[in-house]
Amino acid sequence: MRNSFDEQLASLNRELISMGGLCENAIARAAEALTNGNTELAKTLPELSEAIDEKEREIEGLCMKLLLQQQPVARDLRTISSALKMVTDMERVGHQAADIAEIITMANISASDDTLHISDMARSTIKMVTESIDAFVKKDINIAIAVIKYDDVVDNYFDQVKKTLIELFSKPETDGEYALDLLMIAKYFERIGDHAVNIAEWVLFSITGSKSI
Amino acid sequence: MTKRIFKYICLVALAVFLACMLLIMGVLYEYFTGEAKAQLRAQTDLAAQGVARNGIGFFDGLDTTDYRITLVGADGNVIYDSAADAEEMKNHADREEIAAARETGSGESSRYSETLTRRSFYCAKLLPDGSVLRLSCTQSSVIALMLGMLQPILVIALIAALLSLFFASKLSKRIVQPLNELNLDEPLKNDCYDELTPLLRRIESQHRQILLQLELLRQKQDEFEAVTGSMNEGLLLLNDKGTVLSINAAAARILDADRGCVGQDALTLNRSVAMQELLEKVLGGEQAQAQLELSSGIYELDASPVMSDGRLRGAALLLFDVTDKADAEQMRREFTANVSHELKTPLHSISGCAELLLNGMVKPEDVKQFDLQIYSEAQRMIRLVDDILRLSRLDEGAIDMQRSCCDLFELSRSTLDALQSEAQAAGISLSLEGGSAVINGIPQLLDSIIFNLCDNAIKYNKPGGSVCIRVEDFPDHAVLTVSDTGIGIPAEHQTRVFERFYRVDKSHSKEIGGTGLGLSIVKHAARLHKAKIELESTPGHGSSFRISFSK
Repeated sequence: MRNSFDEQLASLNRELISMGGLCENAIARAAEALTNGNTELAKTLPELSEAIDEKEREIEGLCMKLLLQQQPVARDLRTISSALKMVTDMERVGHQAADIAEIITMANISASDDTLHISDMARSTIKMVTESIDAFVKKDINIAIAVIKYDDVVDNYFDQVKKTLIELFSKPETDGEYALDLLMIAKYFERIGDHAVNIAEWVLFSITGSKSI
Repeated sequence: MTKRIFKYICLVALAVFLACMLLIMGVLYEYFTGEAKAQLRAQTDLAAQGVARNGIGFFDGLDTTDYRITLVGADGNVIYDSAADAEEMKNHADREEIAAARETGSGESSRYSETLTRRSFYCAKLLPDGSVLRLSCTQSSVIALMLGMLQPILVIALIAALLSLFFASKLSKRIVQPLNELNLDEPLKNDCYDELTPLLRRIESQHRQILLQLELLRQKQDEFEAVTGSMNEGLLLLNDKGTVLSINAAAARILDADRGCVGQDALTLNRSVAMQELLEKVLGGEQAQAQLELSSGIYELDASPVMSDGRLRGAALLLFDVTDKADAEQMRREFTANVSHELKTPLHSISGCAELLLNGMVKPEDVKQFDLQIYSEAQRMIRLVDDILRLSRLDEGAIDMQRSCCDLFELSRSTLDALQSEAQAAGISLSLEGGSAVINGIPQLLDSIIFNLCDNAIKYNKPGGSVCIRVEDFPDHAVLTVSDTGIGIPAEHQTRVFERFYRVDKSHSKEIGGTGLGLSIVKHAARLHKAKIELESTPGHGSSFRISFSK
């Protein structure tokens, strides 16, 4: 009984890592498409986002099955319930990466002349997502805490972008749509950072039983 | 164990108890009955003699509490009975014992009374007058005896049960204790039941066998780890679920994992999409290849499933470092593209000029200028092809070039002489410092090193600048330094200027001339001499190339 339960838990773990890998890939692709203005790459994102959706449903099904059939308690229950919450955040990351890609394809935005530090922001966000999943893979509280604290950096980037854009708007020759698109992209990255924090918090919860540091 | 022992002890106790009961009730009862009968017979004889001598008067005053005495007349009527009224008793002639007495002189019988709890013995004797004297006594039956003894029997049974419980627990403890205290690590050192010795011996031999096999296994494992540990390629073994069974040092280094990853899922090592697809494929029983781009470089991943009996048992993954290969590939592609581009530019120019001349569209006075253009572009192409040929010879290791003793100072002097006119045209002063330094080298290559460095120093200089060659001789090495006061090389380009066709300022390469292969030739020539190149440069202030040749 316990044996098959352990096997199911292991496969849940594997699926979560695999979904994490997909999310990382999605946001990395979105960021690369943004820095190089590679619209072809951006067009592959919706497909990836769908794969992530599918993975989410698969993991949810697995979690439900575990909850109903095994009626887990204590640590196992924490693992499964946090997995259920984590996939929601991962799915959002995938979607927002796809949204960024959509803006890139529609508006032909390239951050190659990066006065707004959007690629820096993208890099920081990727780092957060990667590390939040690392925290889950290694079951490491310290990495999770570092991710939660690192959110301030991404928030600062967003504030900077916002300020620069406000200055940009005050000039008459500014292309309003372009500026707004940039703001949206920055906002998406900021949201992805928040989701990474959520993931890290759930990792913390599954290990310690408490979501606060 | 205690329960079973208790059960058996209890059963034995009860059986013994029952056997005793049977003995008492059966054998002894019969004995007592026999005794009683013999006594009754003797009493009957005595009484018969008494009656024969004294007549009926014998009964007067006789104590008849133990026996019942009956005198039956010759006609069968009862004449006297010590227990009942003789008048009311029926004719006794048909009674078994009396009938027997009449026939043989004496008779016996025994009868149960109606309640079955008592048994009566009768003994009759024929008197000389034809009457029969009968004596009888009664005895409790076996069942009545037992019923009477019920209480003590139960008490004894209870005591037997308690005793057997007590002894069972003691006994089982004593039997089991040595078994529990067996030292199974050293079975033969136990002082236990003799009956266990074969078993212990067996355990000992198996124990030794297990230790031996463990040792063998450990040796195998050590060998395996020693072999895989010294491999440059990463080796990763997975089971059929994708769990890591073994990881060698190289794989752990490449994937940035520690030994704790054994027993974890392979995805914990790398969760990239390429890895996921590879794992899915190989755990489905197919060969698979993938390329992983990690922070430490680019790795080729070669995975093969491990099958036995037609079933998937696991997978073996090999990781090769292909960073250099990928870099080389990249460089080769860039080189080909660059060569084609560099060759195409002068050809276009030549072909354009020639076409104009051919069509007669050039004014006679301009023809000379066009001729010059064609000539200079052709010269440029020749230089380029020369450089490429030289480079490819260098790539092959300059097999056909002879080494000899060369003086760097002399070579420098002749190079400077050759470049004097070019330097004067650019308004740059040349100087040579230091003294003679003789090394063993290939003169043509050393010459091209010095020539290319000086040529660059003049080309990328400012008007009024200077170029200085310094040759220093040390006991074990010689140093050649070419420094200029030119435009310098920005830090981010310093590592790349030695690449083929690499230009710091791509937009002005045409004006300055050169093939973009000069420093590449310097690098290769220096490498063939096992010399070390150091570059120091400050943008705007000049550069200094320092080459140290070991002797």
